Amino acid sequence: MDVLSNLFNGFQTALTFQNIYLCFIGCLWGTVVGVLPGIGPLAGITLLIPATFGMDATGAIIMLAGIYYGAMYGGSTTSILMNIPGESASVVTCIDGYQMTRKGRGGAALFIAAWGSWIGGTLSIVGLMFLAPFLANFAVKFGPPEMFALLLIAFILLGSLGKGSFFKTVPMILLGLLIGTIGMDPLTGTMRFTHGIKDLYDGIGFIPVAMGAFGIGEILTSTEESLVRFVSKVKMRELLPNREELRASWGPIFRGTGLGFLIGLLPGSAHVLSSFVSYTLEKRLAKRPEEFGTGRVEGVAGPETANNAASESAMIPFLGLGIPTGPAPAVMMIALLIHGVRPGPLFISEQPQVFWGLIASMYIGNVILIILNLPLVGLFVNLLRVPFRILFPVILLICLVGTYSLNSSVVELVILLFSGVLGYIFRKLDFDIAPFILAMIIGPTLEMAFRQSLMRSAGSFSIFFKSPIACTLIVLSCLLFIWNIFRAVRPKKAWEKALEEGE
Amino acid sequence: MKTHVRLVSILITLSLVIVTGSFAADYPTKPLTLINPQAPGGTLDIQARAFAPLAEKMLGQPVVVINKTGATGMVGGLAGAQANPDGYTLTVGSVNIPNAIEWEIANGRKPPFTRHDFVCIGTFTMSPTFLIVPPDSPYKTLADFIADAKAKPGQLAFSSGGLYGMSHLPAEIFARAAGIKVRHVPYTGGGPSLTAVVGKQVDFSVNYPANTLPLVRGNKVKALAVIGAKRLKSAPNIPSTKELGIDAEYYGWVGILAPVKTPKPIVDKLKDVMKGVVEGKAFVDIIEQAGDEVHFLNGEELAKYMDAESEKIARLYAEMVKETPK
Repeated sequence: MDVLSNLFNGFQTALTFQNIYLCFIGCLWGTVVGVLPGIGPLAGITLLIPATFGMDATGAIIMLAGIYYGAMYGGSTTSILMNIPGESASVVTCIDGYQMTRKGRGGAALFIAAWGSWIGGTLSIVGLMFLAPFLANFAVKFGPPEMFALLLIAFILLGSLGKGSFFKTVPMILLGLLIGTIGMDPLTGTMRFTHGIKDLYDGIGFIPVAMGAFGIGEILTSTEESLVRFVSKVKMRELLPNREELRASWGPIFRGTGLGFLIGLLPGSAHVLSSFVSYTLEKRLAKRPEEFGTGRVEGVAGPETANNAASESAMIPFLGLGIPTGPAPAVMMIALLIHGVRPGPLFISEQPQVFWGLIASMYIGNVILIILNLPLVGLFVNLLRVPFRILFPVILLICLVGTYSLNSSVVELVILLFSGVLGYIFRKLDFDIAPFILAMIIGPTLEMAFRQSLMRSAGSFSIFFKSPIACTLIVLSCLLFIWNIFRAVRPKKAWEKALEEGE
Repeated sequence: MKTHVRLVSILITLSLVIVTGSFAADYPTKPLTLINPQAPGGTLDIQARAFAPLAEKMLGQPVVVINKTGATGMVGGLAGAQANPDGYTLTVGSVNIPNAIEWEIANGRKPPFTRHDFVCIGTFTMSPTFLIVPPDSPYKTLADFIADAKAKPGQLAFSSGGLYGMSHLPAEIFARAAGIKVRHVPYTGGGPSLTAVVGKQVDFSVNYPANTLPLVRGNKVKALAVIGAKRLKSAPNIPSTKELGIDAEYYGWVGILAPVKTPKPIVDKLKDVMKGVVEGKAFVDIIEQAGDEVHFLNGEELAKYMDAESEKIARLYAEMVKETPK
């Protein structure tokens, strides 16, 4: 009951007029930075830190946290409507979300994404509230061997991500891996494929590549098809998901919450991983996995729920131990420090009003976000009524500005445009882009975890089997691999044959 | 014709002199940008962001901190070195800048800029690191630790926030001074490196007071020593390596640098502002809240320190490069 009385006190802090107002501002700004491609939660929070100087610590963290989880709500919008990932965790949402828009179900996709985000976010706070200190201690145990084992599974799952055949997915994965090797090797400082170009020292950022290959590639393809297309009139009923879509999304939303919550605890690009693992999981569980990629609501509900759950559980190591595992929590930590509050293992017991005020404000924030986002669905869908000859240049401009705002680098603009052309070619040849982008993100992390493990053990592979978590995950990935081969060689069922003949 | 060209060029030069002169008199007339070459959330970020609003009060113009990260600070450092020398773009400097340059030289590459491309304005802090071990580790004192490391050469491993960075070097210097052989596992940043010690993924690590002290108080890590000459005010019961008889010292300074061609009047004004802010109570309070100590060096002292230190680090890097298996 201790938790409940603390939470009650937290609500007393969070429900003051000033704090509700700050929470609202944070959520609103978060939605905006989430919707705008390129500007992620990190830039959003950093920009607003100076604005918090006049506030007390609780107010400041309530507002900044609002930006952080609010951005996860907005991230899906451009993915679904325009095929441009609004932020990194929404790459997989492009696959089915955009197809739903093409079928005229864009409003429903946005609705489900917001709904799932709300459930994922709220349940994740419940977990955060009860388990923060315990889970923080668990999260730090997750070292390089465990990370490697987990990414190995992710990697095998990558193979089944694409809607195309094995031979169309694997080359894309390999290409993604190759591009991921560019830049300075973090473990020895050796330069790889940089050719002395300083902008490449840090590797090729995946945001320009993703925005180019998805967004600009899409524009190029569309202009060639026709400038007059779908969505002329949007009726209220079409904005809402129908009964079948709602029923289909329950499972993915709850599985996405669980997955996202666990993966969010891990260091690094956890929320990217969470949405992608959730997507592949839903595809595995689906009765008709071949329909994924043609606009299944499960492909939106799962990932969008997972990335919200992950973004909230990613705050656990930061709140429970004072160690931020991602860049956005790190900036929030600085904001607290500037306000004289020192995060650390004693934070929750020494600063209960800040911690519980924050927790309570996150419940409120999630409610604000869903109230804010559902009416916006109608507005955003209406954007599609803008004639394409106007919309396309605007999208192009957004991509350019978004990319330039990241590092003010002209080389990245070139990468963006080049990826656009590349994305167009891939589309023409019917290759999937998502496995390419995800391989680019996972590859370097996988390599890093593998080499860190071996550096720790002086080159002995036994390190992967000493840790029970890593060992289990590796065995699991082997089983998954065998299952993949088995599925490829087993005799086809009647409906699968019918489908292939139908094509 | 020729005289015309000469006349024009003289006029241009003159007008430039006048413009810069008048520039300096009422400098600053627009917001200043402070480039932080490290990721948001690190030690540099805390100090720069604490400095910015206070400097704004003295300068009458906003000071905006931007993070321009990449290649262990080389990307931001280069941007700072090549910025317009008009006093409106400054760099949050740290020991990482001279180190990165020396590392490039040690590896036979030509660094994109050198420390002579900057003029030093001053430092915020110059902190030593703590040598830390997991909370339930068997080592009670530094002597225990060294004895065990000597008994198992090359078996204990330490984490760092990145190769040759400010949380790798102190460990390397300590290991050499104590005569122990240990293994290095780099992580991506100071936070993950700390996580590795808390989660017992490695046997020890080094890290700076602001990040470490909250974890020491919460009993999530144990600090065996300060790698430096004396104890810290904020942690009076942790001995220094010097008093334990090990000659290891390393200080991670953080401060402000300007492009070398910045006009002297502007540099002088910046130095005054820097001294005023750093010695003011507001700044000291924020830094001490964060568990660190303010340590102000003026521009000349910093330049001298950087020269002497770079020479030492260059020698260390040369040894490290030689020992790296190719």
